[in-house]
Amino acid sequence: MVMAMIGDKKINAGITVFPGSNCDMDVYYALKDVFGLNVSFIWHKDRLLDCKKYHFIVIPGGFSYGDYLRAGALAARSGIMESLKEYADSGGIILGICNGFQILLEAGLLGGAMLTNSSLRFECKTVYLKVLNKGTPFTCMLENGSVLKMPIAHHDGNYYAKNDDIVKLKDARGLIFQYCDINGNVTAEANPNGSIDNIAGISNGKFNVMGLMPHPERASEKLTGSIDGAKIFNSVIKYIKNI
Amino acid sequence: MTKVKDALILNLNGLSFEEYEKITDIIGKKPDEFELGIFSAMWSEHCCYKSSKLHLKNLPAGGPAVIIGPGENAGVIDFGDGDVLVFKMESHNHPSYIEPFQGAATGVGGIMRDVFTMGARPVANLNSLRFGSLSHPKTPYYLSEVVKGIGFYGNCMGVPTVGGEVVFDPCYNDNILVNAFTIGIAKKEGIFLSSGAGTGDTVVYVGSATGMDGIHGATMASEEFDSKKNQRRSTVQVGDPFTEKLLLEACLEAMEKKLIVSIQDMGAAGLTSSSFEMASNSEKGMIIDLDEVPLRTPNMTPVEIMLSESQERMLLVCKKNDYEKISGIFKKWDLNCRSIGKIIEEKFIKFYRGSKLYKIMPVDAVVNGPVYDRAAKEPGYRKKIKPLSIEKYGLPEDFNIIAQRLIYSPNIASKRPVYRQYDYSIGTNTVVPPGSSCAVMRVRPYFSAEIPDMLHIPDIGMDMLSIIPGIIKNAKDKDKDIEDIDIRDKSGGGKDRHKNKGFVLNVNGNSKYCYLDPYAGSVIAVTECARNIAAAGGTPIAITDCLNFASPEDPEVMWQFKESIRGLKDAAAKFNTPVISGNVSFYNETSKIDKDGKIMTSKIYPTPVIAMVGFIDDVNKAVTSYFKEEGDEVFLIGRLKGNLGGSLYMDLVHKDFMQPPLLIDLDYEIKLQEFIRGLANEGLVKSASDISEGGLFVALAESAVANPDKLLGVQISLHKNGIRDDALLFSEFEQAFIVSLAKREKQKLIKYGKAFNISFNADIEIDYIGEVTKDRIKINNTIELKSDKIRKGYYSAVENILL
Repeated sequence: MVMAMIGDKKINAGITVFPGSNCDMDVYYALKDVFGLNVSFIWHKDRLLDCKKYHFIVIPGGFSYGDYLRAGALAARSGIMESLKEYADSGGIILGICNGFQILLEAGLLGGAMLTNSSLRFECKTVYLKVLNKGTPFTCMLENGSVLKMPIAHHDGNYYAKNDDIVKLKDARGLIFQYCDINGNVTAEANPNGSIDNIAGISNGKFNVMGLMPHPERASEKLTGSIDGAKIFNSVIKYIKNI
Repeated sequence: MTKVKDALILNLNGLSFEEYEKITDIIGKKPDEFELGIFSAMWSEHCCYKSSKLHLKNLPAGGPAVIIGPGENAGVIDFGDGDVLVFKMESHNHPSYIEPFQGAATGVGGIMRDVFTMGARPVANLNSLRFGSLSHPKTPYYLSEVVKGIGFYGNCMGVPTVGGEVVFDPCYNDNILVNAFTIGIAKKEGIFLSSGAGTGDTVVYVGSATGMDGIHGATMASEEFDSKKNQRRSTVQVGDPFTEKLLLEACLEAMEKKLIVSIQDMGAAGLTSSSFEMASNSEKGMIIDLDEVPLRTPNMTPVEIMLSESQERMLLVCKKNDYEKISGIFKKWDLNCRSIGKIIEEKFIKFYRGSKLYKIMPVDAVVNGPVYDRAAKEPGYRKKIKPLSIEKYGLPEDFNIIAQRLIYSPNIASKRPVYRQYDYSIGTNTVVPPGSSCAVMRVRPYFSAEIPDMLHIPDIGMDMLSIIPGIIKNAKDKDKDIEDIDIRDKSGGGKDRHKNKGFVLNVNGNSKYCYLDPYAGSVIAVTECARNIAAAGGTPIAITDCLNFASPEDPEVMWQFKESIRGLKDAAAKFNTPVISGNVSFYNETSKIDKDGKIMTSKIYPTPVIAMVGFIDDVNKAVTSYFKEEGDEVFLIGRLKGNLGGSLYMDLVHKDFMQPPLLIDLDYEIKLQEFIRGLANEGLVKSASDISEGGLFVALAESAVANPDKLLGVQISLHKNGIRDDALLFSEFEQAFIVSLAKREKQKLIKYGKAFNISFNADIEIDYIGEVTKDRIKINNTIELKSDKIRKGYYSAVENILL
């Protein structure tokens, strides 16, 4: 096990829990038992009294508020999000996975929106991702162009933004992951949901907030099919240790 | 006049005249609408198993692994290390035929509730689905909607759907089948039951408010359909998985804090069955104040309140002093929580309304419905079944065409277009996902998900502002850290935990064989489950079943039912797999008026569906069914009989399957499976597949094309004296397995076989039959097909049916 410590202190990770979050325990297990972090849940009705308690925060997947209205729309307006915005503004590292990505979009912490998958169905499968920017806390242990294998499981993962915004996103190097085939080719066939430019993960301009549709916590052990998701968590841990 | 009115009420509630008379005797007067509503729900086939009870008693239900057998919300088996597994399968056929999306969704919701009612966190779902003929215009609609409904509920709950079966047959044109299975895990000391309530304890209603949906659902499910099916939509419940997810978390939290004395979910017959059964199981009575029941529709009548099957509700009993604490937990999860009564000593339920006593009803009489030993008679169609003389049928001219028709048949072809709509990887316990012959699950450390007090989280002792990320400069020596992750070296869950143990899940039925011979077909269904578990390296432990039949009032159906039970009993006893829970669904038949004005009744084939749970000591050793590597050697383990009776080949090619199926030699089967399990545990084989529908050809072709990461082929040379080519390739449920292994392991396999046969006094044959190749499926000189083409057809056949 990687003992993620800073000096003699463990790294503290927080995981938000909204009503309907259902990957919260998967992320908890991965961060605590696989990576050896100090992990705690953050209840949606609470406010973060002191942002300094967390080295990073994960908004896990699920169906927050039952996906009612739009996926992520209600969670984005819940009590804890005010604190998360402050946390992000002060440089805190936030990873939004799947529904967490949708929440980040709805909260305006990332730009763009999610449409229903082009198949109009829920899609659960293994996909491949190409790394486009290793210069973030989430990818600092990866190389540009390397390919990761990870599962997806979502109904609304079809990322959309206006053309100008996509150009801006690319210019700012905020496009972090694209769906690709096993050899790293970004093709229409490799795109599981119809997202623009095969977008699977993006970050904000400061690279401290990232949204990702695939589930790295489900690819953190050999037994569940891949350890490529672990490379993302390891990057965050490495980044925090090196500050 | 009164007689006419009574008859109308009787018709509405599905009771027989004799049952009505009996109720009149019990309560000493003609029942009013409220009393009749309660009796008819509780005495319905669906709730009281009146036609099946006598026969279900014959099934083996005990054994060293069984902690709780049939009779509770779900069965419980010992999983070692203080853990238990809780599981059950249940049908939701009638609602799914009326409204497939909601019917299937609430079926999944209901079975998960059965499992977490017992104190277990659901960790995996399976389902078994049957639809009508592919040419039936509504089949694509039913398939698409049912699959969406299952995904809608299971995905939102965060419980992976890891396996199942989808079958198409004209016998389900007018009655589709939706059977849902859930397994959960709990601590042995953390099991909750519907019994144990004490006098003076508080009766608490939690979850969704009660509405008008699903009223008379239980009686609806205990009748056959007629042309008025579409008028039954109001009897189907509407599911809200989001509320159920909250209910799950709130219930488990209250259970963990030991605040609950007893609990039962409100499933069929809603508040009626939960209150009466809880009182009965506790040998007590209850006061229920109907004014306190949370309603979503104003002015519901007492009988509507009692019979509503609104989803996502639970009835629980707690100590009076714990009510405030329970209320706090449910409030935290934004759920209704209301004290609606208390437990009393006398075994009556006293209903109050407007602060006045409204009705008193006897617990025992309501709960103990009638039990029937219905007449049984061997069906007339059985006379048409004749032993197969294959020599009367010509050999196919082109085996390649036949082979393709078989593997592209949607009953054989990959169900990937279905299971990719289910989240099968959530929970991070799925070791073998759908796509192999059975699912293998590990068990992650079990922990409490309590929300911590913010103030007690240690400070990280650094200024957050200092870690605003920029472009990362230095990220060397990274591979070292990544390699450091060793899954077997996890600390969570405590040192005494057996870290690698897991369980194996499989669900199976074969209605065509059960139609031909319900005894033999039921034996095959159990055997097939056990085979799949053995092939993965697991040991079968226990069974849950869904027995789907037509009307038990038809003696021919009753005969099918009794024969099927006899088969289940014999096979379950042989495999040492007690039937610890399950459900019976009768009345899967529909009356229609045909063109000439005659009433026609279409009945489903007898369809017992078996779900089996097995254990595996080390999930790292789990074996999948598809080939792994070019150059690996392929062996046939076991023996071939070449009996095409009842096979898909006979049905598709010769349009005649009315022949007796293979009778399984169970003694040989037990040894064969022990052998296969041994190979997996020794790490000798890379793949193992049994021979089921479509025969040896399908087993080989699937092994070649089902590897998710690469395309493979196979080259086989195999001849058996006295078995002609079609019988060799397409005979089903042969007592044999196909395994593949690395070339260097061959001698070990032979040695293992010799030792096994001596120590088990067995005669398991091991035949080298060929090897894994690159891109062609070639069998003898009869079949040669390109793998990429077969793979494409195999994966797209079911997609082509979906809307």
